[in-house]
Amino acid sequence: MSREAYQVPTVAPTPGRDAFQAGDGPAINYLCGDCNSKVPLKKGDPIRCKECGHRVLYKERTKRMVQFEAR
Amino acid sequence: MGPKKRAVAGPIEVPDPKPVTRKDAGESTDVQPNDPTKRKRTRAKHAPKAGHREPKGDDGFSALLEPFYGGKSLTDPIDTAKDKWNLLPAFLKVKGLVKQHIDSFNFFVDHEMKKIVMANKRVTSDVDSRFFLEYLDIRVGEPERLDYDDRRPQNEITPNECRLRDMTYAAPIVVDIKYVRGKTIIKRQNCRIGRLPIMLRSSKCRLAGKNDREMAHMNECALDPGGYFIVNGTEKVILVQEQLSKNRVIVESDPKKGIVSASVTSSTHERKSKSYVLMKKDRIHMQHNILQEPIPIVIILKAMGIQSDHEMLLLVAGTDSTYQDEFAVNFEEATKLGIFSQHQALEYIGSRVKMGGRNKAPGAPGRRNYIGDALEALANVIITHVPVNGLDFRPKALYICFMVRRVLMAMHDPSLVDDRDYVGNKRLELAGQLLSLLFEDLFKKFNSDLKMNIDKVLKKPNRTMEFDAFHHMASHGNYITLGMNRAISTGNWNLKRFKMDRAGVTHVLSRLSYISALGMMTRISSQFEKTRKVSGPRALQPSQFGMLCPSDTPEGEACGLVKNLALMTHITTNDEEEPVKKLVFILGAEDIVSMSGKEIYEEGAYVVFVNGTPIALTRQPKVFLNSFRKFRRMGRISEFISIYINHHTNAVHIATDEGRICRPLIVVENRKSKVTKHSLECLRRGTMDFDDFLYQGLVEYVDVNEENDSNIAIYEHEINESTTHLEIEPFTILGAVAGLIPYPHHNQSPRNTYQCAMGKQAIGAIAYNQFSRIDTLLYLMVYPQQPMVKTRTIELIHYDKLPAGQNATVAVMSYSGYDIEDALVLNKASCDRGFGRCQVLRKYSTQLRKYPNRSADRIGDRMMDEKDPRKPIAKHAILGADGLAMVGEKVSMGEVYLSKEVPLNTTSTGIGSDYGTNEHKPAPMTYRLPDPSYIDKIMISQTESDATVIKVQTRQTRRPELGDKFSSRHGQKGVVGIIVNQEDMPFADTGVTPDIIMNPHGFPSRMTVGKMLELLSGKAGVLNGTLEYGTAFGGSNVDDMGDILIKHGFSYSGKDFVTSGITGESLPAYIFFGPIYYQKLKHMVQDKMHSRSRGPRAILTRQPTEGRSRDGGLRLGEMERDCLIAYGASQLLLERLMLSSDAHQVDICEVCGLMGYQGWCQTCKSTRGVTRMTMPYAAKLLVQELLSMNVLVRLKLEDEFPHEGRIR
Repeated sequence: MSREAYQVPTVAPTPGRDAFQAGDGPAINYLCGDCNSKVPLKKGDPIRCKECGHRVLYKERTKRMVQFEAR
Repeated sequence: MGPKKRAVAGPIEVPDPKPVTRKDAGESTDVQPNDPTKRKRTRAKHAPKAGHREPKGDDGFSALLEPFYGGKSLTDPIDTAKDKWNLLPAFLKVKGLVKQHIDSFNFFVDHEMKKIVMANKRVTSDVDSRFFLEYLDIRVGEPERLDYDDRRPQNEITPNECRLRDMTYAAPIVVDIKYVRGKTIIKRQNCRIGRLPIMLRSSKCRLAGKNDREMAHMNECALDPGGYFIVNGTEKVILVQEQLSKNRVIVESDPKKGIVSASVTSSTHERKSKSYVLMKKDRIHMQHNILQEPIPIVIILKAMGIQSDHEMLLLVAGTDSTYQDEFAVNFEEATKLGIFSQHQALEYIGSRVKMGGRNKAPGAPGRRNYIGDALEALANVIITHVPVNGLDFRPKALYICFMVRRVLMAMHDPSLVDDRDYVGNKRLELAGQLLSLLFEDLFKKFNSDLKMNIDKVLKKPNRTMEFDAFHHMASHGNYITLGMNRAISTGNWNLKRFKMDRAGVTHVLSRLSYISALGMMTRISSQFEKTRKVSGPRALQPSQFGMLCPSDTPEGEACGLVKNLALMTHITTNDEEEPVKKLVFILGAEDIVSMSGKEIYEEGAYVVFVNGTPIALTRQPKVFLNSFRKFRRMGRISEFISIYINHHTNAVHIATDEGRICRPLIVVENRKSKVTKHSLECLRRGTMDFDDFLYQGLVEYVDVNEENDSNIAIYEHEINESTTHLEIEPFTILGAVAGLIPYPHHNQSPRNTYQCAMGKQAIGAIAYNQFSRIDTLLYLMVYPQQPMVKTRTIELIHYDKLPAGQNATVAVMSYSGYDIEDALVLNKASCDRGFGRCQVLRKYSTQLRKYPNRSADRIGDRMMDEKDPRKPIAKHAILGADGLAMVGEKVSMGEVYLSKEVPLNTTSTGIGSDYGTNEHKPAPMTYRLPDPSYIDKIMISQTESDATVIKVQTRQTRRPELGDKFSSRHGQKGVVGIIVNQEDMPFADTGVTPDIIMNPHGFPSRMTVGKMLELLSGKAGVLNGTLEYGTAFGGSNVDDMGDILIKHGFSYSGKDFVTSGITGESLPAYIFFGPIYYQKLKHMVQDKMHSRSRGPRAILTRQPTEGRSRDGGLRLGEMERDCLIAYGASQLLLERLMLSSDAHQVDICEVCGLMGYQGWCQTCKSTRGVTRMTMPYAAKLLVQELLSMNVLVRLKLEDEFPHEGRIR
């Protein structure tokens, strides 16, 4: 039996990297921990404020209605 | 809060044992027409209030933190007896609450580090003798980012950013070097060799010298004491370690074995060793690890060059005939051994020196230079800390003579043995010292690695490029950084060089409450094992008065071993010995080296010891002492150098070493306190601060040994002709935690100890930045109040700004029967209005890791419902589009708040055909608690290694419920027994209903009179609109409080007329009724409530799991089992221990007694005799485990109820 024939790689780029292409999905706003400006981030973007370079971001509060039980 | 209340809260408390006379004296000054406030107190106020203290400087907020002089204004008259306590806030302003830690760290960074580098400054090469590298200087920079960033001009980093991003708060260590490159010598400056974690609020910290506004801008709490490190985002404290002092002689006796010994632990930078002088059966020997056997002391001294027996006798015993007789026997021993000369002695010692491998040359066995060995051992190993210069053994010989004399003295008078537990014989090891040991070790290793690398390169005959040592230095620049970080974050101090192997040196700073963090910074842990059943080290030592808190120690196994510093204690850093030695000679003491024994032990001659080593002789010890102190008070020598006379041993001891515990006292000269009205005025005006008092010699630091040689008056009127010092304030004998207790001097002492443990569990405000930090677990009180009855300590440590508790109106009466065993009755309306309401914040954090094959964790999308694709599935209901929960949403059990996905394939390299799948599998983070929370905030950031870190903080708001734990400040804890509607609560004639009803049975056996006084003062304060004081040994006077109560139409006793809310009848007794400060403790029912009918089982044993977090079963333990056996409840036992636990069906072969399966016995190859029965799975497992070890277990079956005729 001879060696296996060479197979052309079908779909196999480096794992992981592919799925991380920026622009995947909508940008979501975060708030900068330092200057409080809105930072739109997409998946895979570096985490950093566009204005001041601060690296701590917070997620914005939900727009949905939240009901509390006042007790 | 702040100024107004302060202004009203007068400096009422005056430590005076004779209140009556003082009151009379004060009455005359009582008329105060200019008093605008509604003070209706008849009590003598020695100060009219002209107005509030105006905040100084630009920062109004920081004025709140200025030292606080009891709301007095500048124009108020000063009474030295009453106002000298003003020194205390001044002291704390200069030194801060955790000055010991910070001073120690500063000393390490500024001095110790330079010394270490200078001691190891040269790196040479074995290959090229011309090569060298020399360190010129070392410095520590400012804390800055590791990820250098040019987008942001300032590269500085704040502690809070480190906490949030899981980074290390560290600053670069830079050195200046000069080295040989080719044929030139090159100088380089600011070469980084590593990063040093920086202690917060130390001189290198970003927070040093910042005002409150700047602190707030950095998201840092102005009240945070500092003194800890931030390593990988966690706050780490290096606890203070207590040890026996180094380089001091300790004399002990063991009456059982008839041994008296003087031992000394010598410690220098090179070596650590312990030497003994032992008296056994009237013979004195010297013992040391390097010696194979104890060596007669005469031989040792002979070897050190004291050749004549007469000289030796005089040096040891002086002219005293009793000591001479006692010592004379030892000469016989040397004579018997035939040792008369120094040469013979050295030979004798040399043959008994252990040679641990290093001198064993394989070629020449047995041939040793005995004299050389002996000289080496005597000069460098035995009592290493006394230096031998050029074979001048005289100082060391004298040292040994003094040790021998101490042994003789202790033999003669058994009371002259030393006490190991005496605080003066202890030294405290702080962060700076531990770090310096660590740094020394790392730096030496760094240098030896560097040398090895350089040698490797220089060995090569031809090199491609010119050799530059600098590149090698930069290449392994991580060694010091990693070593430091590892030691601090794990707490393992493993230094082979010093044979040090300590674990648990660092602890995570407890942030349960402000007090718990503060209490941790003052904690001292002892090196004694906890299991030893000796009471000595645990007992309260009289010498710890004013230095260590008498109340604050844990209960249980660590009781008395873990201590806490008192409010004013300071721990010394090292001072230079040389100038002190010079001063000793300047003051007229004569060098001891030239003295004979006759002179040394002459009547009236005192030996001067510097750090335990004899250096001089004086005949006027008192004059010497006084002039030495004068020099210290003038500031010519460091204020932390102590001197005292020991009259038992005729010695003057001077100490300059580090780790001594000391505290400031007012100097008294000629029956007059040096702190006068004038100086206190200057203090109040701000023209003098505490250091000025120190420099002018009005106040001085006194360590334990010196304190015990002084006559200290507690109050000014107690000063007599022998008084040397005056206490600044008696309440400073308590620590920061015990200082919270009002009227502690009226409580039974264990109650104060209990409160010290509980104060740390109270829920309250943690820090000003409590909402901008994300801790694993944070308890916050929603409406904290400052206590009605404060203490001076509370103000000094700013507990009134970060309080943990609420002033509850308490009725001390019996109600409903739900209040037995210390249970409390709570008013439902009070709970509705926010009494005891608290928030619990939890952190759930995760890191998105990157793997070597370029795959990485990611956040997945939410999964949509199959039927309605617009909606996510129920588990993902609160997720946003980014896969993180929405902030503000309610999260309940089983819901996902972070849908992380990890790659299936993390190992493939991606080279050639080795590419694995590109798939990710979900690894979501699910909310597991039974009670729902709200998502409070979600933080996204990156660590230093560029990994994404996501922290989700959840919040729960809890109102008090049945079973929640509350406590007053007097060690009186209780759980909520019932919550009663307000209409059913009893009410006073003013209509007031209590918040808490406490059962009066809590008082008689506990004897917490302080709690009653707190209620009384608190009630008077409420009526009067003032905050009252319950400071230890002072505080508001009960009689005055009674007067206030009467003035407002209440009974002076604090008892009110109360009507039952249930029946409407008046109660047949007057009820003790008023405010008491109550703390809510962190133990809450919601976190502990647990039940299970069926649930998960452990895999191995198939028994129910253990613990609430795993939804475990409730164990029927051994003792419960014993009860059931005794009772004979066999069926219950069977059910509990097997049926409800791990019942298992097994097939057992009656023939062979082994286990089969499916009715078939594999051993007998038959189905005959195979019986099915139930047994515990654990038992079956045991049988099988034994089988696997080649132990055959046969189970013999027998009918419990055999019936005739049955054939098997």
